Amino acid sequence: MSDTTQAFFERLAQRGYEPLLHSVSGTFHWDIEDVGSWFVAVKNGSLTVSRDIVGADCVFACSKEDFDRMVMGKQNPTTLFMQGKMKITGNIGLAQMFQRLFPDESLSVGEQG
Amino acid sequence: MGEKTTISVLEGNNFVVSDLRGDIDASPSEPLGLFAWDTRFLSRWLLTVDGQRPNVLSTDDLDYFYVQFFLVPGTGTIYVDADQSIIRRRAIENGFHEDLTIFNHKDKQVDLKVRIEAASDFADLFEVKDKLTKKGEFYHRIATNRLVLGYRREQFVRETLITASATADIDEHGLSFAVHIEPHGEWTTSLEVVTVLVGFGENQEETTEGQGDPQTRSKMKRSLEKLGEALPRLSSDWPSLQVTYNRSLVDLAALRFYPLTLSGQAMPAAGLPWFMTLFGRDSMIASYQALPFASELAEATLRALAQRQGTRIDDFRDEEPGKIMHEVRFGEMTAFEERPHSPYYGAADVTPFFLILLDEVERWTGNAELVRQLEMEARAALTWIDKYGDRNGDGYVEYERRNKETGLENQCWKDSWNSIQFADGTISRLPRATCEIQGYVYDAKMRCARLAREFWNDPELAARLEKEAAELKRRFNQDYWLEDREFFAIAIDGDGRKVDSLTSNIGHLLWSGIVDEDKAGALVRHLMGPKLYSGWGIRTMAEGEGGYNPIGYHVGAVWPHDNSFIAMGLRRYGYREEAARVAMNMLEAATYFKGRLPEAFAGYRRELTEFPVEYPTACSPQAWASGAPLLLLRAILGLEPIGDNLLVDPAIPTVLGQLELLDIPGRWGRIDAFGRGRVDTSTMGEKLQSSTT
Repeated sequence: MSDTTQAFFERLAQRGYEPLLHSVSGTFHWDIEDVGSWFVAVKNGSLTVSRDIVGADCVFACSKEDFDRMVMGKQNPTTLFMQGKMKITGNIGLAQMFQRLFPDESLSVGEQG
Repeated sequence: MGEKTTISVLEGNNFVVSDLRGDIDASPSEPLGLFAWDTRFLSRWLLTVDGQRPNVLSTDDLDYFYVQFFLVPGTGTIYVDADQSIIRRRAIENGFHEDLTIFNHKDKQVDLKVRIEAASDFADLFEVKDKLTKKGEFYHRIATNRLVLGYRREQFVRETLITASATADIDEHGLSFAVHIEPHGEWTTSLEVVTVLVGFGENQEETTEGQGDPQTRSKMKRSLEKLGEALPRLSSDWPSLQVTYNRSLVDLAALRFYPLTLSGQAMPAAGLPWFMTLFGRDSMIASYQALPFASELAEATLRALAQRQGTRIDDFRDEEPGKIMHEVRFGEMTAFEERPHSPYYGAADVTPFFLILLDEVERWTGNAELVRQLEMEARAALTWIDKYGDRNGDGYVEYERRNKETGLENQCWKDSWNSIQFADGTISRLPRATCEIQGYVYDAKMRCARLAREFWNDPELAARLEKEAAELKRRFNQDYWLEDREFFAIAIDGDGRKVDSLTSNIGHLLWSGIVDEDKAGALVRHLMGPKLYSGWGIRTMAEGEGGYNPIGYHVGAVWPHDNSFIAMGLRRYGYREEAARVAMNMLEAATYFKGRLPEAFAGYRRELTEFPVEYPTACSPQAWASGAPLLLLRAILGLEPIGDNLLVDPAIPTVLGQLELLDIPGRWGRIDAFGRGRVDTSTMGEKLQSSTT
């Protein structure tokens, strides 16, 4: 896999269920600068990922560089938000839970397919 | 107790600390100012009339969110009949709102130059404490009747908006008003000060012009009354108890913090001025203390902490999977990772405490849904205890910080550097396994066994936890017991040695239930004996130990919250009269602070000082000190949920006479508890002291 951003969402889609989000239900829209948008729906930990743009409970916006650094474990999502480099609109409580998906351990040590 | 020199108004993590005139003139190290989200948004706010600062007649700060300052224009001398007087009315909310009114008492018109000097250093609270300098740039904007003070560091932007309702001449240092007042007339302006955190949740948008003081105030009043309606009603034959009870409830209401991540739900922040934020330990302890009165605080606390439970290993934050956080901050230094509080996880006791609180909330409220929703978090917390908490595999939870630069060395409630020391005064080695944490782990496992059986449909987990808890108890009573001194060591240190100072920690062991029945009597003799018992309460460390210092924070001072847990521990092991004495003496101490117990007071013997001496830099109000009288009431009324009933088993000090607590909310609906004071606490000290010497 060549692209960390795309790899992250593809792995999320493959995962299907994430126990860390077992009590979470909601929809997330990631708006990643110069790359595009992803839509993630979570229902009691079950994940669905698409590129369709529909209304979401929580919208994130950040640069690709910062996003990839979060995926690789080089940037903490909370401090990125506190620095004003990641905008979050909508349900902040849900946003907090999404953080649990960072970093992606398999992508944090290098890019794997 | 010195004369009060500052006035605070607060709500959640938004507060203003000013002098008695209502002015703010902060030096870099003075905690005066308007603060929100750990940032100072105003460091200067000075009123002058014709170039003179006014004199104070009086202040009225009966409400925590609203204060009135009554002033007269400065004349250089004080006792001159004033021709004008000034009232500043200030209410807190997303910044503050101030109505400034000047009255002309003469029968001829007057022209005055009124000015408000304003400035902000946008200091992070850590900078206020440590006197550091800023890395970003300051700016200002002037618009119609509005001054904007700003600070920018990369994309981190904070602004203070100051808007006046009256026509003002505005420059970058403040607002000037040319005021004309008719004979016996008055002039007024509203001043709206709004804090803006660009890109930060709800506060990111500029708010509209101020809507006026009465509306702000009534909204807050409603919020307080809403809390009040649900609270149990107290009566007794000792009037001071009512004062303390009311003060505790009002302070806990004032310290309510609304996390951005929980819409509209409030939990206790730790304390004013340094700790107006979410703390794992303080928020849970205050919530636990308040359970019979306002259980919604504990539910919100558990949810907020569950959201932030650790999921990864992160040395900088001392984070580990399943660990419950210690402290979160929102200021610039945290944002730029110059401090680890985003959140910081350096506490070893809070993860088992999280499990204890989860079970206790269910016992009081019957909220099974919460227990099921947090099942995964609870299991992760149990895993943390065995896998990460027990670092060396010896069966005990010990701590040693991962972050060697800015992390905390002691990760128990006694978190100052010198709290865990031997009887000869030498400091113990890391990692340290303090005794009370083992008690909490025992209690957490016993309680989770119940939750696993009744709510998680996992009898195997329940059986395993009970087996582990029993084994922990058996080993603990051998490994930590000091045979010659007849109490438990405060810790086992990194060299495997028993740290042998006599401390209040043994009282927490009674609370947790880890103590063998045949050892409880000896512990109680120590707790109530003259070395630990000051006459006001149980000292953190006993007189006669090498490290003892009556004004040592964790090595001699008396902490109200500590005593409230010990009182519950005494009840658990059947020491009803001793629990009543601890409760009564602490309630007596509260009368010297107008019902508001400080976080700690000095460990001097009661007969030496005759009043409790406040610890020099004590934080006040502080949530777990405000919660202490509530837990003490529970202890003397003997309140314990049993299934769908509330057991009431009073052991009440005689001084209190007839004690009634009516409409206690819980899974039973509402229940009244009452009893008559029959425990004579005035003579117990002599009896107990003579039996130990």
